[in-house]
Amino acid sequence: MAKSSVIPFGPQHPVLPEPLHLDLVVEDEKVIKAIPQIGFVHRGLEKLVDIKDYNQFVYVVERVCGICAFGHSMGYSETIEKLLDVEVPKRAEYLRVIWHELSRIHSHILWLGLVADAFGYESLFMHCWRLRERILDIFERTCGGRVIFSVCVPGGITRDMDKNTLSDIDAVLDGIKGEYTQLCKTFLNDTSVKSRTIGVATITKSQAEAMSMVGPFGRASGLDYDVRSLKFGAYADLTDFAPVIDDQGDCYARMKVRCAEVFQSIDIIKELISKIPDGDINVPVKSNTKRDKEVSHVIEQPRGECYYYTRGSGTKFLSRFRLRTPTSQNLAGMITSLEGCDLADVNMIILTIDPCISCTER
Amino acid sequence: MEYIKKSPWVIHYDGSSCNGCDIEVLAALTPGFDAERFGVINTGNPKHADIFLVTGSVNEQNAPVIKQIYDQMLEPKVVAACGICACSGGIFSECYNVNGGVDSIIPVDVYVPGCAVRPESIIDAVVKATEVLEKKQKELKCSKQ
Amino acid sequence: MAIFKLGTMTLKSVFKKPETLKYPYETKEPYEKQKGFVKQIDDTKCNLCGICSKKCPCGAINVDRDAKVWEINHFKCIQCQYCIMSCPKKSLEMDGHKPEISTEKKIEKIEINNG
Repeated sequence: MAKSSVIPFGPQHPVLPEPLHLDLVVEDEKVIKAIPQIGFVHRGLEKLVDIKDYNQFVYVVERVCGICAFGHSMGYSETIEKLLDVEVPKRAEYLRVIWHELSRIHSHILWLGLVADAFGYESLFMHCWRLRERILDIFERTCGGRVIFSVCVPGGITRDMDKNTLSDIDAVLDGIKGEYTQLCKTFLNDTSVKSRTIGVATITKSQAEAMSMVGPFGRASGLDYDVRSLKFGAYADLTDFAPVIDDQGDCYARMKVRCAEVFQSIDIIKELISKIPDGDINVPVKSNTKRDKEVSHVIEQPRGECYYYTRGSGTKFLSRFRLRTPTSQNLAGMITSLEGCDLADVNMIILTIDPCISCTER
Repeated sequence: MEYIKKSPWVIHYDGSSCNGCDIEVLAALTPGFDAERFGVINTGNPKHADIFLVTGSVNEQNAPVIKQIYDQMLEPKVVAACGICACSGGIFSECYNVNGGVDSIIPVDVYVPGCAVRPESIIDAVVKATEVLEKKQKELKCSKQ
Repeated sequence: MAIFKLGTMTLKSVFKKPETLKYPYETKEPYEKQKGFVKQIDDTKCNLCGICSKKCPCGAINVDRDAKVWEINHFKCIQCQYCIMSCPKKSLEMDGHKPEISTEKKIEKIEINNG
């Protein structure tokens, strides 16, 4: 009769990029239960709404997470514009979506590098992060910063892009597409990758619906939900958009969905660059908020659907701001997928879920 | 012989950071701004490391973790606080759960400003930390004799 | 076989220019309007009104009207450029080079001589 023991995992571990603590209840190398403990990254930034007005607070929301930084500033700006009934020029909407899709490509290439490193495949990690430098160069040229941009504010954007820059972005994306296809094929067609991930940590469609999973994690189990098909902003002008879905539900399916989303984003950016209109990029926003008016908004971050809620107070300060991030919605799915797996598979399963703990805890 | 020095090994821990500085610390070790040309390796074991790179501020839950990692490292050791959240708490210094920068619990030798910190600044910080490390090594040798 | 797929990419990189920036022997010139550190253009335009200090999201700027001193703490500045956009006299600008590292936290003080 095997005896069960508890192994602590984290918060400091070479393969974990973020602090997360898991107590793994183990019987003879098989994990029976995983008990999470979070709270290492909690800063309490939603309370800062009392002392910073809505124009200053965008710089706080950007720093909730460094990888999804542009998504948070775009979601917050669109929520405030709904609250104050401000209409943003078309050119600003197109440029915001171009930056957001570039951010999604960057996040998925970074994720592929970290998964390869956890696998032991260090040279693929170096190749992926080398490709990522080209996208960071685009960000540095257009926004000034590599990771945190401070470009999207309520009312529009603060910097414009000229025609030369847009055609350069096109050329860089063509170069990335060729090399990324080779990297994906090498990784996904490898026999050792297939035997380590097919059939591991499966989540069925009914389990995914019961736990309300979002993002590529849910789409790999067959759920057909992507906020971009609701057509907010410049997504309404795309000719056709269909979310990438797979129905196997195991680790291999999640990898395939994320790799395919990069190609979809490259096509979206090219289509928007060819159709971008001319015009203004900014509208001044100075009015007070209306007392007790509530507004909510959703956008599709690289990790899933992110929900923003805010309430006005009659002055320039908001009375409440709440943000529900995709990883906090997927935590139940993560704990379920860890039950019954081998101890040596734990770090690989956590990375295929793509957790962003600083988004969860704010 | 003055140009040949020992390469320091680095351990990295993320206190309550937003991950922006962490991916720039990893970007300093990958092609692009390769710090491995100088022999710097990112290790996971505190007993192998000379330099402790900390990002992010300190709250009640991760203060004992940072103190434990610092205590396990062997003398001589150097701490570099990367990013303004580690130097002084940054934009979150007025939040209810943040105690301040890293220097509220362990002594810091090098401060690196920036939000998010650039990989060139991290290479500068590792070079400066190596000089501080050499000074501490000499003091240790003198005090033992 | 997987070896040959990555092998062509590796072989091509032997003949191409290396992708590494060999810092500190090579440096890259900053792009136009890159994020670096905030400074006064010269010390005659500022009129010590204090708007930059009120708008700063993290309290990095302090203005002392009696002593005619404008000071900024680079170890608290998040480089958001909100002070530059709200200055009525346009006396602040962003220098694209990275801020200096140091072994202690210093505050930069500038004396204003606007007469």
